[in-house]
Amino acid sequence: MTITISLVLTGIFLIITINLNRFVEDLRSRVELEVFLDDSFDEAKIKSLSDKIRSIAGVEDLTFISKEMAILEYNNLFKEETDYFEVLGYNPLPASFRVKLKYDFRTAQGAEQVSNAIHSLPDISPDDVAFRREALVKFEKYIRVAIGIDLIVGCIVCLSALLLVSNSIKLIIFSKSSLIHTMKLVGATNFFIRMPLYVQGTVQGILGGLFAALILLSLVKISGIEVASLITIQWQLYMLLICFGGVLGIVGSSMAVRHYL
Amino acid sequence: MVRIHNACVRYRNNDGLEQINLEIRRGEFIYLVGPTGAGKSTVLKLIYMEELPDEGHVMVDNFDTREMSAREIPYVRRKIGVVFQDFKLLDDRDIFENVAFVLRVTGVRRKDIKRRTLRALADVGLSHKSRKMPNELSGGEQQRVSIARAIVNDPFILLADEPTGNLDPTTAVEIMNIFEKLNARGTAVLMATHNYEIVNNSAKRIVSIKNGRTLN
Repeated sequence: MTITISLVLTGIFLIITINLNRFVEDLRSRVELEVFLDDSFDEAKIKSLSDKIRSIAGVEDLTFISKEMAILEYNNLFKEETDYFEVLGYNPLPASFRVKLKYDFRTAQGAEQVSNAIHSLPDISPDDVAFRREALVKFEKYIRVAIGIDLIVGCIVCLSALLLVSNSIKLIIFSKSSLIHTMKLVGATNFFIRMPLYVQGTVQGILGGLFAALILLSLVKISGIEVASLITIQWQLYMLLICFGGVLGIVGSSMAVRHYL
Repeated sequence: MVRIHNACVRYRNNDGLEQINLEIRRGEFIYLVGPTGAGKSTVLKLIYMEELPDEGHVMVDNFDTREMSAREIPYVRRKIGVVFQDFKLLDDRDIFENVAFVLRVTGVRRKDIKRRTLRALADVGLSHKSRKMPNELSGGEQQRVSIARAIVNDPFILLADEPTGNLDPTTAVEIMNIFEKLNARGTAVLMATHNYEIVNNSAKRIVSIKNGRTLN
């Protein structure tokens, strides 16, 4: 029972960790640069700039956003009904490149590096390259704290689960101390005495993992947590929990057996 | 066959054994006598290697404490049968299983276990009680089970630690007769006892132990 509870806690920790990781990956995948283009650039110039930006280290891909597409996006984003043409008589939004970064460059530092490389190109000024620098720096700071807390909690949960398994095997050893002593006196090898305890610990761990997976599955179904688009729980997590229970059982029983036999 | 040479065992409270020397030859019957606390049980423990000597050495068959590792101790014990004063039977299983247990833990094939267990129980006259639990037997019967367990592995020596200590005189004689019978078949016996009545009525070799030293 105690193993199951600690494995449920481990499972909750894993759900949080996996989803935190997924959330970070999702946000990182949205890190991109915008390169605004002067209205005077003709098609050949835009093509040439596009090729140059693509060749910069850290650039994965880029998309050309024409002035017309920019207006449409603006209207969609801000639900503006005002037609710029009616008010101003012309489209004030510039055409742009939306630059997607390679995985390793999806950080404040990486984005800065690519940004510097782009605005060092002729005809591109530093003001023409934009990315959400402040937000990215803040995001990275919060993520570092969140991952730190997650790791500490994870270590505590795993350690307590390990100690629980180890203690339950120690209790078994104590309760069988007379049997174990007699086994030793009649010539049983340590391997012969230890093997059933390893098996018992492993089975306990796997069963604990199985019950914990069932409890978590029920909790998830009852709470409807999976409905939220951000939080997803895959069946592999439950398998991982059962395997983790088994590993805990082996390690926990080894700790107890090594200490007492 | 068994040789204890200048063995010393020292405990923290200054008790223990000093310069124990003992040689047991094949088929011998030896009484190890001495007052309570003299160190008789420790001598037996030296032979089945629950205690290892701080000085000197112990040789059992081909095993020598100077050259062997702790991993080899189970293999020494498989050559020895031990009978305890408090029987040390396992209360959670019947008589047959108590005796068969020795064969199971030493990896004997299943079909041999039944044959050898039944033979050992017959040797001590308990074939008819093989499915009884230990707590259903008298003290003398429990001691006979303990002897059956000790001989089921065909040891070359039986170590008995005060085997009649908890028994009435009539039962004690019965137990002694079993030891005599086993010894007659070639099994050496080393019996620790302070029952001088049994010892004085016998013509066997006597080894005394006093103040932690052997006096042959």
